Amino acid sequence: MFDAAPIRMERSRGRAFVGFAGGRLADLRQEGSAKAMLPRVFDGVPEVVFLNTSGGLTSGDRLELALDAGAGARIVATTQTAERAYAAVSGSAEVSVRLQVGAGGHLDWLPQETILFDRADLARRTRVGLVGDASLVMAETLVLGRAAMGESLARLALSDRREVYRDGRAVLVEPFALSDAVLAPRDALLGGARALGFLAKVGAGAEALVEPLRRVLAECDVPGAVSGWDGKCVVRLLAADGWPLRRAMGRLIGMMTGRPLPRVWQG
Amino acid sequence: MTAELLRLIQWLSPAFPVGGFAYSHGLESAMVSGAVRDGAGVREWVGDVLAYGSGRNDAILLARGLAGGDLEDLSDLARAMAASSERLREMMDQGAAFAMATSALTGMDLPARPLPLAVAQAARGLDLPLETVLSVYLQSFAGALVMAAVKFLPLGQTEGQGILQALQPLVLEIAKDAARPDADFASSAFGADMAAMEHEILEVRIFRT
Repeated sequence: MFDAAPIRMERSRGRAFVGFAGGRLADLRQEGSAKAMLPRVFDGVPEVVFLNTSGGLTSGDRLELALDAGAGARIVATTQTAERAYAAVSGSAEVSVRLQVGAGGHLDWLPQETILFDRADLARRTRVGLVGDASLVMAETLVLGRAAMGESLARLALSDRREVYRDGRAVLVEPFALSDAVLAPRDALLGGARALGFLAKVGAGAEALVEPLRRVLAECDVPGAVSGWDGKCVVRLLAADGWPLRRAMGRLIGMMTGRPLPRVWQG
Repeated sequence: MTAELLRLIQWLSPAFPVGGFAYSHGLESAMVSGAVRDGAGVREWVGDVLAYGSGRNDAILLARGLAGGDLEDLSDLARAMAASSERLREMMDQGAAFAMATSALTGMDLPARPLPLAVAQAARGLDLPLETVLSVYLQSFAGALVMAAVKFLPLGQTEGQGILQALQPLVLEIAKDAARPDADFASSAFGADMAAMEHEILEVRIFRT
């Protein structure tokens, strides 16, 4: 009986909150496995790097990340490394991301990819509240196993819901989900792809990005599509593996934000 | 109840003036690219959009609208969940035409809404089981896509109807699922959403979406 693989019994808990006022750090709270760091920046745009020190997510884990970008300033937020959702045998891991942007503010929410392993069970909800004319760029990358390591997924439960509200009204809701049934390689679903990218800008005039993004996409060797409407611009990408997708996402994010990628994204 | 069922079937029939024949919900891109090229492909694609994409999500919006949910909030949510510019247009144009036609026919004054909510506000007055309304709506949704395929592919009318018949057990299953009070939205039809976006840049198009 002592040969059995170790089962981690303790559940990890983490909460981190970062608040800005007038483009300056005003509040920073962190507990458990969640950390928030503010690396030195040289162009005056604050950058927040969230980190989950538990090393990955499994049954019963709870992670809460929150950020208030305040009004009238641009803030960039990302994650230190890829997040990993491991096999879960007794219920889901839950992640809550709450982001708030005040009037005249802008947030670039650019977490690194989430890697889902076989039998992962992850429920993540990302809620963004925009006030007045605030704007947002958000990017989410999901990788199903690591193709280079010969991994493939047969069982998976993912609910990855992204919601953006402006003054309390829903403006962008993507209730993305994956289950065993939709892993079948069918064209209306994932078509056999192992990496998915979702990128959106929400803000007045976002539609003007459609043509430039289509030109960038045409130079990437990753299938994708762009659409713009209602003060939104959305890109969806499906790739055979995480690495080409990451390169394409990097270029598209650069076009969407008009800025270099956060340093943790580079290299 | 039979009279009310007739009313619902009339509203959701292909002849009802919402212009359903003009929209393919992104299927045209998949047929142009060759991802969908025959009856088996149509059945798979339409079944996946119904079960894992906008079909089921529309049914949940409709169910919440029928159950007394706030139609303004649900309309915002429907708009916010549209996967692309053309998906929004398809939902809004058909919803506006549906509200106009049902208003003219019933004497009610129904404002334009995204299609599933336009149907919800008109059908609130009908005394029909929730699953029945959802099933008829889903079959109408599937029927429009199958008709688009019959128009585009070498696929006979009867073969198209055979696909629709084969999808009926799935339609009933989704209606039952979407009628649960705790049913929640889920979008897994990523490829279908991308096809709807790619439709915008097709050089030759016979459908609006």
